[in-house]
Amino acid sequence: VTLRVVHDRPEARWLPSRHRFALWRLAAYIRLRWSRPPLERPEHLILSIDRDQTAAEMHGIAAWIFVTTVCYFAAFLPFALPLSILAAIVLAGIAVQIPIVPGGGMLRLLIGDGDHVKIVSVTTMGLLLIASSYVATTTTWARFVAWFFFAIVIINGVAAAILWLLRDFVRDAEERCVR
Amino acid sequence: VTRSAWWRRFLARGVFWRQLLRFAVLNVPPWTEPIVIAFWSGFFMVWGSGRRGVTSNLKVIKPGSYAIVNLFRCYRVFWNYAWTISDNVRFKELRKIPDWEFRGWQHFQEMQAAHGAILLTAHMGSYDLGAQLFSETSSRRVVMVRAPEIDPQTQEFEEHHGVDGVQIELNTRATELAFDLLEAVREGAIVAIQGDRVTGSISSLPMTLFGKTTSVPAGPFALAMAAHVPIYPVFVVRLGRRRYRLMTTRPIELTRSRNRDDDFARAVALWAQELERVIRECWYQWFTFDPYWPEQAS
Repeated sequence: VTLRVVHDRPEARWLPSRHRFALWRLAAYIRLRWSRPPLERPEHLILSIDRDQTAAEMHGIAAWIFVTTVCYFAAFLPFALPLSILAAIVLAGIAVQIPIVPGGGMLRLLIGDGDHVKIVSVTTMGLLLIASSYVATTTTWARFVAWFFFAIVIINGVAAAILWLLRDFVRDAEERCVR
Repeated sequence: VTRSAWWRRFLARGVFWRQLLRFAVLNVPPWTEPIVIAFWSGFFMVWGSGRRGVTSNLKVIKPGSYAIVNLFRCYRVFWNYAWTISDNVRFKELRKIPDWEFRGWQHFQEMQAAHGAILLTAHMGSYDLGAQLFSETSSRRVVMVRAPEIDPQTQEFEEHHGVDGVQIELNTRATELAFDLLEAVREGAIVAIQGDRVTGSISSLPMTLFGKTTSVPAGPFALAMAAHVPIYPVFVVRLGRRRYRLMTTRPIELTRSRNRDDDFARAVALWAQELERVIRECWYQWFTFDPYWPEQAS
């Protein structure tokens, strides 16, 4: 198995290939295209080219997903809001893992041991879309959170379309960077 | 399997947690990973002996700190540990490597070029991942010495899910291992040893760390003296999500004089100096879950 890595190119942090979601990939492309090489360089650097590599993106998405889930739970719990939020934090921490544990277990039984990240990822996002669709139609305050969720999904879709139009430029910029 | 042996898998060092971690790496979407790790780091705060071990070590590293502050620091240690072991399993299972920055690149290259060397490291960051990186980038054979797992099932699991490229030797058979390692170093191999903790009945040397007396394994120092090779202190420090720094410092040369004990003491003092500096800077990723200093253990 060949490891996909770039040596001694700090600007390769901004390779769109190191990002998962279209919005982040587009932002990375803009940064890669117009950024200057950093002044401080480590003595030697190995950067991995993997779509889930960027910390800011993954932590940002995780925080957004978690806050969204907490709001959905808090809106429907029958306690005072501060108490509901506290309970929702615990419930959201567990709920986010629900598609992973039974889902991953079932996948293991059905298709065997191996990398199921992609399937679990799609399932989790699908469940979140269903939950958001429901919450968006309610009259609770959480509907604004659900609308925001859909706004992000739409913006991400637009970014994906822009990236598709720019695909040749993106490829050229990436090749120039790693050459 | 007896009933007690079956239950043993759920103990802190049991095989169940390794299996669960592997399952998580193969099933958790990367964009929910921070939530899952935050949750499980909190769950492991329930592990009383581990929590007490970390907080008691923190009392020495950060004297005068409040117990409640050390409890939060303990969470940070568990959080870093969870990320580190996840990165390690991800590499083994999916061949995904983190980003690496090198500090002390000149010394690192010297070590690679030398005909045999001892790589002395600590239970920090991901030493497993570091050793695997060596095997990917170095033309030298890498022999990693480590303590066996306490639980036999966990040991079996680790042997089954290891990676190619790194030769792992367990420090249980001291005498034969010493000869094997000496031969490996003389053949030009890099022998990687964790030199911050004495486990089991292996021979040790006294060391002063953070002003308190403790002991370090004598093996790496004796091996360096016997094979006439330098010791390179190397630390793998986690900088953030899937991002590590490999720090190699000036080598420790063991010159033999008439007084062997003094020679060892000088080398151990240099090692202690490096170790203390790195632990002081990166206390949140010194993964020592038992009380480190004997007076604390007692």
